[in-house]
Amino acid sequence: MAVLELRDVTKVFPGVVANDRVSFSLEKGEILALLGENGAGKSTIMNVVYGLLSSDGGEILIDGEPVNMRSPRQAIDLGIGMVHQHFMLIEPLTVTENIVLGREPGRLGVIDFALARTRVVELSERYGLKVDPDAKIADLAVGMQQRVEILKALYQGARVLILDEPTAVLTPQEVRELFAVIRSLVDEGLSVVFITHKLEEVMAVSDRIIVMRAGRVVGETRPEETDDVGLARMMVGRDVVLRVEKPPSTCGDTVLAVKDLHVMGDRGLEAVAGVSFTVCAGEVVAVAGVSGNGQTELIESIVGLRKPTSGTVHLKDIDITHAGPRKSIEAGVSHIPEDRHRRGLVLQFDIAENLVLGDHRLPPYAKNGIMKPKVIAEMAEKRIADYDVRTPSVSVLAGNLSGGNQQKLVVAREIGREPMLLIAAQPTRGLDVGAIEFVHREVLAERARGRAVLLVSLELEEILSLADRVLVMYEGRIVRELSAEEADAETLGYYMTGGGGDKLAADGVVPVMGGQQ
Amino acid sequence: MLDSIITPDLFAAAIRIATPLALAAIGGTICERSGVVNIALEGIMLTGAFFGTAVVLATGEPWLGVIAAVVAGISISAVHAFASINLRSDQTVSGTAINLLALGVTGFLMKLWYGHPGTTDQIKTLGSVFNFEAPGGGVLAEVWRWVNAILFTHSPIVYLAIIIAIVAQWAVFKTRWGLRLRALGEHPRAVDTVGVNVARGRWIAVLMSGALAGLAGANLTIEQVGSFTENMTNGRGFIALAANIFGRWTPIGSYLASLLFGFADALQIKLQILRGVINVPPQFFQMLPYILTVVVVAGVIGRAVAPAASGVPYRKD
Amino acid sequence: MSEPREGTVVQRRWMTILQKAGTPVISALLAIAVGSIIIWASGYDPLAAFAALFKGSFGSPKAVGDTLLKSTPLILTGLAVAYGFRAGLFNIGAEGQLFMGGLAATAVGLALGATSWWISVPLMLLAAMLAGAAWAFIPALLKARIGAHEVITTMMFTYIGRYFVSYLVNGPMKEPGNIPQTPALDPSAQLPRIATLFSEGAREALPILNLGRAHMGIFVALIAAVVIWLILKYTTLGFENRAVGFNRWASETAGISVQWTTVKALCISGVLAGLAGATEVMGVHHRLFDQFSSGFGFTGIAVALLAKNHPLGVIPAALLFGALSAGATTMQFEAKVPQDIIQIIQALVIFFVAAEEIVLWFVRRRQKEAISHAG
Repeated sequence: MAVLELRDVTKVFPGVVANDRVSFSLEKGEILALLGENGAGKSTIMNVVYGLLSSDGGEILIDGEPVNMRSPRQAIDLGIGMVHQHFMLIEPLTVTENIVLGREPGRLGVIDFALARTRVVELSERYGLKVDPDAKIADLAVGMQQRVEILKALYQGARVLILDEPTAVLTPQEVRELFAVIRSLVDEGLSVVFITHKLEEVMAVSDRIIVMRAGRVVGETRPEETDDVGLARMMVGRDVVLRVEKPPSTCGDTVLAVKDLHVMGDRGLEAVAGVSFTVCAGEVVAVAGVSGNGQTELIESIVGLRKPTSGTVHLKDIDITHAGPRKSIEAGVSHIPEDRHRRGLVLQFDIAENLVLGDHRLPPYAKNGIMKPKVIAEMAEKRIADYDVRTPSVSVLAGNLSGGNQQKLVVAREIGREPMLLIAAQPTRGLDVGAIEFVHREVLAERARGRAVLLVSLELEEILSLADRVLVMYEGRIVRELSAEEADAETLGYYMTGGGGDKLAADGVVPVMGGQQ
Repeated sequence: MLDSIITPDLFAAAIRIATPLALAAIGGTICERSGVVNIALEGIMLTGAFFGTAVVLATGEPWLGVIAAVVAGISISAVHAFASINLRSDQTVSGTAINLLALGVTGFLMKLWYGHPGTTDQIKTLGSVFNFEAPGGGVLAEVWRWVNAILFTHSPIVYLAIIIAIVAQWAVFKTRWGLRLRALGEHPRAVDTVGVNVARGRWIAVLMSGALAGLAGANLTIEQVGSFTENMTNGRGFIALAANIFGRWTPIGSYLASLLFGFADALQIKLQILRGVINVPPQFFQMLPYILTVVVVAGVIGRAVAPAASGVPYRKD
Repeated sequence: MSEPREGTVVQRRWMTILQKAGTPVISALLAIAVGSIIIWASGYDPLAAFAALFKGSFGSPKAVGDTLLKSTPLILTGLAVAYGFRAGLFNIGAEGQLFMGGLAATAVGLALGATSWWISVPLMLLAAMLAGAAWAFIPALLKARIGAHEVITTMMFTYIGRYFVSYLVNGPMKEPGNIPQTPALDPSAQLPRIATLFSEGAREALPILNLGRAHMGIFVALIAAVVIWLILKYTTLGFENRAVGFNRWASETAGISVQWTTVKALCISGVLAGLAGATEVMGVHHRLFDQFSSGFGFTGIAVALLAKNHPLGVIPAALLFGALSAGATTMQFEAKVPQDIIQIIQALVIFFVAAEEIVLWFVRRRQKEAISHAG
């Protein structure tokens, strides 16, 4: 009998049907992969199962019994646990406090912290998930935080564990560790639903695969019955080019030169510790690394959002080390920020206003502080046509566009400005395949136009398919530079987790001096 | 001259003046810890002060007035809770509405019930809890005179406030309710996902802040002034908010910060009485608590971190 | 999304204006309805109350004049609060800036003494604008540099400003005598009443021109509204103000200085509030005393919210609140309803505008039903 079964479950949001009569089942001791693109409705359906969202139709059965899932409390009581894509951890609280939250041991409302700690330690030893029970979440690395999340679900007595995109923030090596943990959980009698959009992971870990597209289940298969290409076709609904073909790089003048840059992070620790590299015209240089190793601070200091403590940044011959964002834009730096909702767009502004943002005080869009709505509207019309932003008009608010169209808007603004240097930080995060292909084409088109491109990405696939050179960043330093030919996922993963660092230091090698070979 | 300023009653006054600020500030702390900003403290305090006075005027029973003030505080804070939790209004705007509503309602009822604006008749107040004798001469007696004057001359709510500060501190950091409260203000969705009702947790916190601010109003009228005057809170709710920030969103910190404001106010009153000796217009002394508030808020920010989700309405989907 | 059809463009434009005005109008009506219930529950006749209120605000040319008189400072404080809100700042202390504006205008007016109006009036208005900006500057700087919350600091500055004015009218600027007030301004330093613009003959022929106490300050306010509207719509200053108000991080990324924009926004807000103080002193009281504003700065919050922070929307919103407060005295006199009911209605307006989720909730539910029926 299935531990979990969905029958025709439907979820409607204003304007969209997020899940349309979704049916599948999960057997005891099974690892079920839920595969689909961003926006296919995978997370939504599992949020319904977890009681976070109410369903608008259909049935959920646990151990064959229909249940009316109204709240996470009920789901937890029925043995369902979920590790969310965005961790549900409270940063200023300790590991123990986070794990016991909602089911605190104690009497008369007073928490028995000693008992809580003992239980956490017991649990972490039993499942081989080592954590410091007294550490504050804010001080833990991402991989460790994920362990806390899994322990939290186990503490609550989960028999069914739902993992929502658990590998998004992990290195290849950490992914392997996670898979081992999942297998041991299954050996202990748990059943796992594994949500992902990454084909290779599905092939590596799952027993059975459910493929979703546009809110529906479009197929079911097993790893031994299919391959990457077949799965990709099922997931996207058409053939997908998995690698982009590109002509060899024609490296011109040096456009960006970063020398011995030191930058402080938000926590008062040095986030970038002496980084030097160059990017030349007509070249894509990618920075690879696990999230939180100084990439964000590096970019923020190049575009002027963060003051470096020492070192220099030159754009051609201009020193932009202390330029600030405004002068940096005017000097010819464009920036596709890693978080388009936070830094990329003003969601309450319309498309035209978003497209002029950053150029809004320069001619021809403004003169003497007076803006030229007509010129701006004409520019906006042209840009949305050039970059295929799907919208009825340029006066639609950016917040009303889909994620893919929002990103196209940012790309249209930043590339449309015709910069000398394009900095793209995680430019395809959360996009569907069509939009990813679009962004990749535009990045390569910039390269072909002879512009310099600096790409930061957590997706190794993306780095491997776009970059001419790869800089691997670890703990604020560039620990390795690889040419496109040398780079593969395993090698990158090795250096991303600090591998080879000792050897470099022992040899006294200054890791990287950029430039053309 | 200094010994006519530094007297036991200066410190006693500091504690007295700190009491309504501290009660409201602890209310603000609990409320913000749950993720709801409460700039309505001012209006809630005023409402409590009015209804407390009205009930004492009607019944002659001060303790009934205190209860009425607490009930009134809870009732009007329910409006804030409904707006900010269920309707997801901007919490600052909703708080402003309540501040204005409190001014309007108390002014309206003043005229409706007592037929005139301004100040009500005097009411029966709650007096000092203890009444210790001061024994004869000697150094020890002098020390006792100070201790007695500073600590044992107060009315009940003054002591209640100290007890509340200690109990609240313990509750916020040691109990199940407290852990969930702190979690709510940081990451409500995380709390939701472990099966704790976010809306209910926030409702309780807002109502508690209403009860505390109402009690603060009762202290103002039923213990300190002995009558109600329109707009008599005079910015105390905002100063309490500052005390809550200065106290780093902890109950005991709020109490100590309020004590600082209380001391400043007591000192300025003392200095006003000495006018003639020091020739400074009284208005400049009256400004002092407000200037101190600005200095404190300006000085402490950057080091103090507010609960991350404070002021952000929670939406399930 | 469906393609827009030609020919319906004008219609759609009106629809969006109606939609935008919809929630404020419903909010105002709801507030008045709840106000009526309170009046009725207190044992008065709501109909009589509102009839008296209407009589006092629109019943005669003089009453209309009173409405304009009360609306004048409210347009300016409403603009002040709205401009701050458009930068994401809550200038709850417009009242304090208004006090300093009134003070500066009076000081300059008294210093100039008897001179030509075209010298004194512009100088006094300018002084008031600068004083309002100055009073907002320290909270603005504290907000921009260290993030000190402007709700607390501007509020505190309101108290400080009021005590300061109180000191001056009781001390250095006090007119000889027992009343704590300054001497009266010279007529050349006053804003004349609108009615005095017209000859006696014209006023007899057209009685509507007898606008009682309404003064030229209303034109100052209207011009300010148009200027602020133009700034927000057509200048980089306004664009950056709105950008920062919506999303400070995206603004920063686009090269906008969030700190500088914050300072400018609160200071411009202070300029407008300062002007309100000047028009009150120059048009109504012709001198300064410590109660010269009846909370116009706070009512400005309600005005701004009701106008949804649109500078032109501020005008009808201020007229509504102006009419309510102009009619309040008549209502209290004739229907015996305490005029504090007006303040209750103002608070309810803020509450309902803030809680527009009530309206949106219905809209969303119907959308959802429509989709699930279709699906």
